[in-house]
Amino acid sequence: MRRALFAITGLAAGTTALVVLKGSPAATPVAAGELPAGTVAVPGESAPANRAATRPPSARPSGTPAPKASASRTPRPKPTASATTKATTSAPRRTTAAPRTTTAAPPATNRKVTGPVVTNEFGNVQVQITVSGTKIVNCVALELPSGGQSGQRSDRVDAAYSGTSGQVVQRQSASLDTVSGATYTSRSYQQSLQAALDQAR
Amino acid sequence: MTAAATRPGLRRVEQVMGTAISLDLADDLPAATLRELADEVFGWLREVDARFSTYRADSEVCRFDRGELSFAETSADLRTVLERCAELWGATDGFFDAYATGRLDPSGYVKGWSAQVASDRLLAAGAANHCLNAGGDVRVRGHSAAGRPWRVGVRHPWEPAATCLVLTGTDLAVATSGVYERGPHVLDPRRGAPARGLRSVTVVGADLGLADAYATAAVAMGPAGIGWLDRLPDHRHAIVTDDARLLHSTALPLEGGAPS
Repeated sequence: MRRALFAITGLAAGTTALVVLKGSPAATPVAAGELPAGTVAVPGESAPANRAATRPPSARPSGTPAPKASASRTPRPKPTASATTKATTSAPRRTTAAPRTTTAAPPATNRKVTGPVVTNEFGNVQVQITVSGTKIVNCVALELPSGGQSGQRSDRVDAAYSGTSGQVVQRQSASLDTVSGATYTSRSYQQSLQAALDQAR
Repeated sequence: MTAAATRPGLRRVEQVMGTAISLDLADDLPAATLRELADEVFGWLREVDARFSTYRADSEVCRFDRGELSFAETSADLRTVLERCAELWGATDGFFDAYATGRLDPSGYVKGWSAQVASDRLLAAGAANHCLNAGGDVRVRGHSAAGRPWRVGVRHPWEPAATCLVLTGTDLAVATSGVYERGPHVLDPRRGAPARGLRSVTVVGADLGLADAYATAAVAMGPAGIGWLDRLPDHRHAIVTDDARLLHSTALPLEGGAPS
C-alpha cells in the first residue's frame, strides 16, 4: 500500500514536472539538471510521453516502429543515449516514468490508414490518410463516384427541368427589330444580322 | 433620316466600347428632339467608356485599380458599379467575378448597366418607345415604329445570320452571353480555365446590367448553370448547350409560341 502511494506520488510529481517543462521549453540549465533531462531535449514529445506513462506499453498503436526513431523527428542538440543516461541517473526516483519517456516516443515515419468503403446514393467513397506522428499530413480519395456528385445532380435537375427538355436548336425566321447575341466586335458586327437590320431602314 | 419620311422616330448606330451600339427611337417626336436624345445617349455611353474602360490607362477604373484613387474619391457611378459587382459575386456564388482576370475588370456589368441607365433616361425624357442594342445586349420599351411590341431575335449560336428564338415584349432586358463571338473567353473563376458546356445563354429580366451578369455567370458555371438559372427568381432564360440542345423557361415571352 505504501509502495503504491509512493509510486502514485512519484508519477504525479513526474507528470507535473513534465507539464511545467513543456510550458517552458527554454528551461534553465539548473532546472534541466534536476529534472529528467531526456524530456527537456525533446519538448514537443513530452505530451505523448505523459500519455504513455499512464497507459500500458501494449496500448501503443500497432505498426509503430522502434522507439529509437524519435531521433529523426526533431533535431536534438544531444545524442539520445546521453540524454537517456542523464534522465535515469539524475532522477533515479522516477525510474518508472523516465525510461518510458524514451521508449514511448511517437513514430517518425509516415503510416497510412485506409478507411472503409462507404456507399451512398451517388456511389462509393473511400479515403486514405497519412499520419506522421500525431498529425495527418495527407488525405487522398481512393474511390469517388465516377460521374461526380454535382454532375449527377445536374442530370437530375435536367430531368426535372420545367421548360422544354432540350430540343435540337433550330433556325427560326421572323420579322425582327433587333438581335440579342454574344458581344460582337466592331468587325464581326459588319457581318451580323443586326448590321443588316440597321441598314434596312 | 430618310426613314423619317415613312415612319416616325430615329435610328442611329455608333461604335462605342469596342462594339456597335444601335439605337431605335420610335416616338413620334420632332426630329430635333430625337437627335438631341440620341446625342445624349451616345454621349453618356462614350463617357462610360472613357471612365470604365480597362483598355485606357487613364480611366477611373484603372486609376482605382492601381490605388491612385481611394474608394471615397471615386465617382458615385463607380461606387455603384463596385457595389453591384460585389453583390453579384455573392448572388452568383462567385461565378460573376470582376476580379477573375486578377485585376479589376467590371466590363461584364458595365455595358449592360450603362445601356440600362441610358434607357431609363430616355423614358424619363419622354421617349417611352425605344430599343437600345449595346453589342448584343438589348433593352426595349414600348412599341416599335410599326406600332407593335418589339421583336428581339436571339442569335443562332452557329449561324451568324440566323436566329434560334424570337422574343417579343414592351418592357424587356435581353442579354446574351456566349463563346461564339470572342472564343472561350469566359473564365470559370474556380478552375481558372475557360468555361465549357454552354455555348449561348440568354437571360430576360427587367435590368440589363443584372441580366448580362447572370448570363455571363451561367456560362462560367457550365452545365450547372442550367439548374442555377432555373432557380433564379424574376428572370427567364434560353440556353444552347455545346451539343446544340436548346432549353428555355416555359415563361419565356416567345413570338408566336415555342418553336416546334
